[in-house]
Amino acid sequence: MSSIIRKSFYGVASILAASIGLGGAAQAEFPDKPIEFVIPFGAGGSADIEGRLLADGMSKVLGVPVVPVNKTGGGGAVTYTYLKNAKPDGYTVAWSSTSILTSSGIGNMPFDHSALDHLGQVEFQPMIVSVKGDAQWKTFKEFADYCKANPGKLTIANSGTGSATHIAAVAVVNAMDCEVVHLPVGIKRRNATVLSGEADAAVGPLTATLKLAKAGKLRMLTAPTAERNPVVPDLPTMNELGYPADLDLFRSLSVPKGTPKEVVDKLTDAMIQAAQSQPFQDLAKKNGFTIKPLTGADFDARLKKDGDVVISIMKSAGIYQSKAQ
Amino acid sequence: MIQDAALGLAQASQFSSLVATAVGVLLGLTVGMIPGMTISTGIIIVLPLTFTMDPNISIALLLGLYVAGMTGGSFAAILLNIPGTPSASATAMDGFPLTERGEAGRALGIAIVASFFGGIISFGCLYLIAPQLAELALQFRAPDLFSLVFFGLTIICGFAAKSLIKGLLSAALGLMIVTIGQDPMMGTARFTFDNVNLLSGVHFLTAMIGLFAIPELVKSICSPTKLTRESQKTIGSFWSVFPRLADLRRVIRPVLIGGPIGSFMGLLPGAGGPIAAFISYDYAKKSSRRADGFGKGSVEGIAAPESANNAVTGSALVPMMTLGIPGDPVTAILIGALLVHGLAPGPLLFLERGDFAYGLIFSFFFANIFNLILALVGVRLLVKLLNTPRALMMPTIGLLCIIGSYALRNSFFDIYIMLAFGVIGLVMRWVDMPVVPLLLALVLGKPLEENMRVALTSSQGDYSIFFTSPFSLFFLVLAALSIVWSLVIEPWREKRRAAGLNETQKA
Repeated sequence: MSSIIRKSFYGVASILAASIGLGGAAQAEFPDKPIEFVIPFGAGGSADIEGRLLADGMSKVLGVPVVPVNKTGGGGAVTYTYLKNAKPDGYTVAWSSTSILTSSGIGNMPFDHSALDHLGQVEFQPMIVSVKGDAQWKTFKEFADYCKANPGKLTIANSGTGSATHIAAVAVVNAMDCEVVHLPVGIKRRNATVLSGEADAAVGPLTATLKLAKAGKLRMLTAPTAERNPVVPDLPTMNELGYPADLDLFRSLSVPKGTPKEVVDKLTDAMIQAAQSQPFQDLAKKNGFTIKPLTGADFDARLKKDGDVVISIMKSAGIYQSKAQ
Repeated sequence: MIQDAALGLAQASQFSSLVATAVGVLLGLTVGMIPGMTISTGIIIVLPLTFTMDPNISIALLLGLYVAGMTGGSFAAILLNIPGTPSASATAMDGFPLTERGEAGRALGIAIVASFFGGIISFGCLYLIAPQLAELALQFRAPDLFSLVFFGLTIICGFAAKSLIKGLLSAALGLMIVTIGQDPMMGTARFTFDNVNLLSGVHFLTAMIGLFAIPELVKSICSPTKLTRESQKTIGSFWSVFPRLADLRRVIRPVLIGGPIGSFMGLLPGAGGPIAAFISYDYAKKSSRRADGFGKGSVEGIAAPESANNAVTGSALVPMMTLGIPGDPVTAILIGALLVHGLAPGPLLFLERGDFAYGLIFSFFFANIFNLILALVGVRLLVKLLNTPRALMMPTIGLLCIIGSYALRNSFFDIYIMLAFGVIGLVMRWVDMPVVPLLLALVLGKPLEENMRVALTSSQGDYSIFFTSPFSLFFLVLAALSIVWSLVIEPWREKRRAAGLNETQKA
């Protein structure tokens, strides 16, 4: 018994000594405690699966636990608000995405992406225009021609008004230069409405479309993206087909405004290493997203470009009500 | 499809899944047995502990709890004449007389075996019907889904039997609460008062923890009931619980009545365990050669309701899995559990996650097997739990409620929401207003609104879309029938049943 007490005394003493020693160096040595990795979407979804694996990889690089926490709601607004109010010490990072542009545009938070600092982009995936597996339209051109001949007849499903898929759908329709009915059916029903025939097409991220397309239930027509995706090399982009449109779904990491530069650098380095790790690459190949780290000015340019697209489309659809000051 | 079934069987028979099922069964027997702890309360308390598990393991545990809770409910009914769950009320009528004659062990054994057969019959029902229904449901469009959800909502009338006005008020409250949060069509905020925590609305599981568990806690603090030591009384020897061959033979007939009735009632949203138990008790009595023994400790009188209430469990999973429509509070919670893991119950579940869907079905099968074994072997030990001091149990439950409501969305704000719903639950209990309509409205309100608005968007405002689609029309007719049934026919039957019971008791 007494030996246990003695041992635990030494244990406590050594922890104390260590913490005093670390305390002196704490300012220089980031990180020395677990990092909260906030995921704006629910467990089990693609944002969650990809985010958790990245957090795991970053934890290996940084040597401290990087703990994924889902804070869902408001199309991401809950997480972004939480991040904005967090201490800018690098111990809170958020798994941000295109949703940061859309949820501020629709007016769900009183600030926009400039109220946060960003480590940069990790990956992106194209949005896919898909129809039912046995639909009459074999190519996007047939679809677009049908749309022109029958204005207001076609329906296109998206995940919700003001969501990234809705914005992409409007971009597609603008490029086709015709009229359709947009059905904001939610993430869970988006594919189902195409399968039941209620919607003629859906716009959704590649990762959410790939499995049903491989099973022949959905047919992918095109994607409003800059270049062909290595996961689906046979799928033509809209630009190639002569319908210019470009809006990908990107995923990135963000931190509170004012996070010290050396902390940002360290986190960014961990982010890039984790993004290029083997497990993350394997997941990318399996689920259909493209790893492409972008940092600093490159990422700012992307935010600017995509932000302008989102805002102009939201304004044309009459749903832009940003409260950002 | 065969491939998915094989994968599902493999998933469900993994060691970790089997352990989870067994743990769930033990928990279920316990919460089912303790009067005042319903299966719903048990499941919402355990649920947050399963968030970090694999979805198939977590659902195996919850299914074990669901199945065994039905059986556990009969223990207290048989031993104390207090049904542990409402579904066990019918069991008490013949179970308790047997206990009084010193044959508690025999009664428990019959109840356990009958539960098993009821469960297996409904497993067959689940395995055969669910995939077919999912295939059919793939064709459902927004107007069909609206009418289906509307039909699901009409079962509120059934739960509001005592006072229709109070039931409808409760449901209206639920529908109002659903409108808090993001507008499902426009993405804009409604009734959030610029509080970002309200953007995603009130999670129905948070509301449910408050509504169900808090009033229960307050009640036990206010009236610290002494649990009887009588439960320690004679169950008899270890072997007395195992039914004799002669008893088993007498059980066949009531089980063949109770199993199919329970399976059928489970398919209908809202019918549920208690009703199935009473109806099959009724039929078993009418068709029995020993009808005069019913109510005095008849073996058939235990077997019929016990097989029926367990048969409800399997088939209640059918509308839950394939349509995403809950038939009772427990399946509503299971929907929540699936959603937490990112699995949306509905027709696409079988298409996109066929392995998981079949894994769930087979986990249900294993839950029934574990329930049989663990209940038969462990009943003597489990019954001792009836003496657990509430002073230990209630604080633990209180703590788990708080942890649970935080863990759901990692939001501290949700704890306040939970406590607020606790107060609402208390007030509703004081004014004798049923909480189940509120709960169902919370679960069904969102799909009701979404599907209606999507349907009207695609028809460009033309309401006839709800009547021109054959599926939609069919569900609307069902909804009308359901309203007529619960407002006109059910009260009438209730009266007759009550009259019948009085006669039995007099005789």
